[in-house]
Amino acid sequence: MIPDRIIEQGTLTTAGGRASVEVRLPWYRALPASCISGAKLAVDGVEAPAASLRWQMNGEEFTFAEMKNNTAQWWFPTDSAVLSGDLEMDAGEHEVRVDLELYIPYIIMSDENSADSVLHIEEHDTKTMTARQVEEARA
Amino acid sequence: MTLRQAQGPHRQAQGPELGTPIQGVTLYSFTRAFHGREYDLDQLIRKTAAEGFGPGLEIIGFSSFRGFPEIDDHFAGRFSDLVDEVGLVRTSLAVNADIGLRPDRLMNQDELLAYMRTQMAAAAKLGFPIARVQISLTPDSMEALAPIAEEYGVTLALEVHADQYASHPRILALRDRYEKVGSPFLGFTMDWGATVTGFAPSLVEAYRRRGASEELLAAVVQLWDDFYEQGPPADQADHGQRFGRFIGLAHQHGRPDLGIDFGINGTGLFGPARVDDWLEIMPWVKHVHGKFFGIDENGDEPSVPVADLITLLVDNGYSGAVSSEYEGWHWNHWQNPFEIVRGEQAIQRTAAEAAGSRMITDAAEARRALDAHLAHAVRA
Repeated sequence: MIPDRIIEQGTLTTAGGRASVEVRLPWYRALPASCISGAKLAVDGVEAPAASLRWQMNGEEFTFAEMKNNTAQWWFPTDSAVLSGDLEMDAGEHEVRVDLELYIPYIIMSDENSADSVLHIEEHDTKTMTARQVEEARA
Repeated sequence: MTLRQAQGPHRQAQGPELGTPIQGVTLYSFTRAFHGREYDLDQLIRKTAAEGFGPGLEIIGFSSFRGFPEIDDHFAGRFSDLVDEVGLVRTSLAVNADIGLRPDRLMNQDELLAYMRTQMAAAAKLGFPIARVQISLTPDSMEALAPIAEEYGVTLALEVHADQYASHPRILALRDRYEKVGSPFLGFTMDWGATVTGFAPSLVEAYRRRGASEELLAAVVQLWDDFYEQGPPADQADHGQRFGRFIGLAHQHGRPDLGIDFGINGTGLFGPARVDDWLEIMPWVKHVHGKFFGIDENGDEPSVPVADLITLLVDNGYSGAVSSEYEGWHWNHWQNPFEIVRGEQAIQRTAAEAAGSRMITDAAEARRALDAHLAHAVRA
């Protein structure tokens, strides 16, 4: 596991009341959207509202609810995804924190093979960087 | 495929020929370099060949192939040309039984078989004779997969990995089912992480760099040594208790943040079974993960008995592939993984020679040896 690589240094942008940052998979193999079960985005300790969070990968943008049943889109280990949410900030230096919740679909933790027995991991990363102001919210 | 005379469990008594294991590597060893975009897949394959880490080449499908398990003809052709050009030999494609692909609703048996069929087709298309599968497959699933394996000519080698080990009840249940089914396409991947002799010093160093006290580090190493004395966990409940002991230690020493990590590594990476435990399943070993965690200043692997494991394979007539699988990359960000793999393979070659044999390093010889090895039926 390589959680120190979750946040891509220097990718924090702000536009139209939203913040976005590029994130990397802290795992060695691709995972489908259905296994990316949650995330949090905070800047200087202020968390973006959960309902405002969006996840962009392979050129498409999703809510976490939309990803729940999606086994067609995969997060490849060398690709960056973009996590964004409603957050106001200026263009200066900020501390960014990302929390990721992932399911590891081949590791079943109990002998019963029941749902919710799939290994669930939580990883987080914090980095300080300068925000870039952009024209478009989805640059 | 020709089925040869069975090598039953009594083979050793007949005085087997010494094995000549095939040297090789899994690209998983270089996860940090690939994930960090230092090398793309083509570059890693070229690097592997140029460094002499082959001829055996193992790849994890979901790590290295974008869009896996869908593989288009153009890509498969290009991949095959590259592997041939650099003189490597495809051994195992590591595939996954993602039963929890939708975590809220586990796959049923039909869905799982369809999911595995796609990956076995990918293995065949990419030219890998072995598909490494994992413990989430039950004896029933393996039995149901046998005809699909035969259809594609791909041997399924289920990985025996800590916290399991060869004589673990789940592994023996699989072995007994293999014996009943009698398909030469079912077997095991031996992962050396099940038979480790110490808590890896490079991981101790990584915790030191994260500010763990010497007292805590000594206690973690001692706890692992105590479990080694007791032998591997009898069952999942025993495993869970050991996991909890590592967490407790972290709490006692004021570093609860390290507890889960101690538990995962102390039980899931460093398995405390003895080397001869592998004799329980040796005739069914189709592939080997030469798992290791680091090479010290003397050129030794301080926590995996690499030489003893190679000797065991040679003595038991094993002439399949050994993929060097460096797993210290999780925590070791200060040493070069290519140098570390080079060090482990030197130990393997020296050990094979000391056992009166050698490792195969020639590609043409490796192809012939692998063909012969995989054609062995293991009907008892």
